[in-house]
Amino acid sequence: MEFRLEAHRIVSISLGKIYSARGQRGGLKLHKNLLVSLVLRSARRVYLGEPGGECALPPRPGPPPPPDCERLRRGCRPLASEAAARGRPECPAESPRKRSAAERDPAAGYPGKKPRREAEQPPPQEDMETGNVASLISIFGSGFSGLLGKERGAAEATEPGQVCCEQPVLRSLNPWSTAIVAF
Amino acid sequence: TSALLEVVTDIISTVEFNHTGELLATGDKGGRVVIFQREPESKNEPYNQGEYNVYSTFQSHEPEFDYLKSLEIEEKINKIKWLPQQNAAHSLLSTNDKTIKLWKVTERDKRPEGYNLKDEEGKLKDLSTVTSLQVPVLKPMDLMVEVTPRRIFANGHTYHVNSISVNSDCETYMSADDLRINLWHLAITDRSFNIVDIKPANMEDLTEVITASEFHPHHCNLFVYSSSKGSLRLCDMRASALCDKHSKLFEEPEDPSNRSFFSEIISSVSDVKFSHSGRYMLTRDYLTVKVWDLNMETKPIETYQVHDYLRSKLCSLYENDCIFDKFECAWNGSDSVIMTGAYNNFFRMFDRNTKRDVTLEASRESSKPRAILKPRRVCVGGKRRKDDISVDSLDFTKKILHTAWHPTENIIAIAATNNLYIFQDKVNSEMH
Repeated sequence: MEFRLEAHRIVSISLGKIYSARGQRGGLKLHKNLLVSLVLRSARRVYLGEPGGECALPPRPGPPPPPDCERLRRGCRPLASEAAARGRPECPAESPRKRSAAERDPAAGYPGKKPRREAEQPPPQEDMETGNVASLISIFGSGFSGLLGKERGAAEATEPGQVCCEQPVLRSLNPWSTAIVAF
Repeated sequence: TSALLEVVTDIISTVEFNHTGELLATGDKGGRVVIFQREPESKNEPYNQGEYNVYSTFQSHEPEFDYLKSLEIEEKINKIKWLPQQNAAHSLLSTNDKTIKLWKVTERDKRPEGYNLKDEEGKLKDLSTVTSLQVPVLKPMDLMVEVTPRRIFANGHTYHVNSISVNSDCETYMSADDLRINLWHLAITDRSFNIVDIKPANMEDLTEVITASEFHPHHCNLFVYSSSKGSLRLCDMRASALCDKHSKLFEEPEDPSNRSFFSEIISSVSDVKFSHSGRYMLTRDYLTVKVWDLNMETKPIETYQVHDYLRSKLCSLYENDCIFDKFECAWNGSDSVIMTGAYNNFFRMFDRNTKRDVTLEASRESSKPRAILKPRRVCVGGKRRKDDISVDSLDFTKKILHTAWHPTENIIAIAATNNLYIFQDKVNSEMH
């Protein structure tokens, strides 16, 4: 499964980028880290064979490959936030870039926002909300297997390619996957 | 024909002609600004006519440290925009990630001489030697260019400023960061108006950032901003104080056959420019430049492939970070030709009328003074002609991100890392 190997490689590269972004001069680059987190999410979905993961791949001729029922049976479930935002996309027909009505209009989803004038001293305490990085780093510090290590305690040296099949990983991944976007 | 001016500075981060094309400003990673001035054409030296020479150099921004957030603020100049000239002085805005500054550029070619109390060097005279009164007179001196900071617009941005744009009213300008756009008055530094805010209530819901913005060249109420999702939003400041609701949304549906892990990255718009006419917009994403008609939101009217041969190499380009390079784009004066940079010090021009395109190279070897630029070709397998470059031998460290076109003439400025190339076309050249 070439695309799974590529997905794994992309996940590893992406994690490395997020990790090294922390020490960058000039502070975290929000744009770049957002793009990396989107790539990471797509690649992870493909790698774990989640429903919707096929969206990241070009459509293949012939019947689409059957979803991997083994993982689904073992308790993996799609992330709640993503399911809410995207519904259950039918792949590969739906373009992943088509958004729901709420997402299309950025103003609609943010109740309570009012126009404001920025005074001479805008809230100086507002920061770029990079506090979630700390928890991210402790996970990424042990590389790809570190993502799965939370469930099992100490990180064991395992072949990353095999681990996913044995653990209900999605539950442990839930906090960090949303934390990435919180850059 | 072409001429070459090459100046070695720090890595150039922005290039901008002023409204007449007489001045050309560059900003670099070290926070410095260099202004070039075009020599007036003279009959005595016809070969030197219209060449650009250094006019002034100054340090615009210094590195700063935000102790509260333990963040260093880079001094790199992200953008320079000239103000339309309103008197003898020239003014420009320069910005780094956080602070925008207004600089005034003035010439001094006379100085007063003949003070009563001071001597030539400014030292106080011994009063006993002063026996008569004289009136100081202005005497000519060597031209001196002075640059002074007139305004500093600070504390307006939490995120990194990516663009600034001066309004056609010549009184206001806007600055955009990843999530917000602010409107400033050029004379007022202690307040700004927030006109766009796409920061979600919960940052975990962030899916899109602002990548570039520009005011319409004629309609002072209109501006456009581009996003990392590849969309453009045209906003009308008359509609409401906060322009979160766009007037028009320009977006092209994704081509499903081109989908990959990197589809979202390569659709992020890195630059948007209104045409001089104000009728069209030009956008640049990683692989293409697109021309949009303000009257049609569903898709661009023209799409040009800059380097489609990179589509199969996106994973490697992601790995070496090249996929995040932000290329700029430019219109010529008549909006008939568009230009953008690429790798290997190549830059591309597309003629919208003839549909011809050309690839040129900015390098010392191919750019001797008054030499003619030779078109280059990247071969993607198949027949390879002599002088073709194969995709695998492209140098991805040599990238042309910043280019500028003179407002009225066929003169272009190309920033290749830390070298600036200026090419002039004395004769109408054909695209081939």
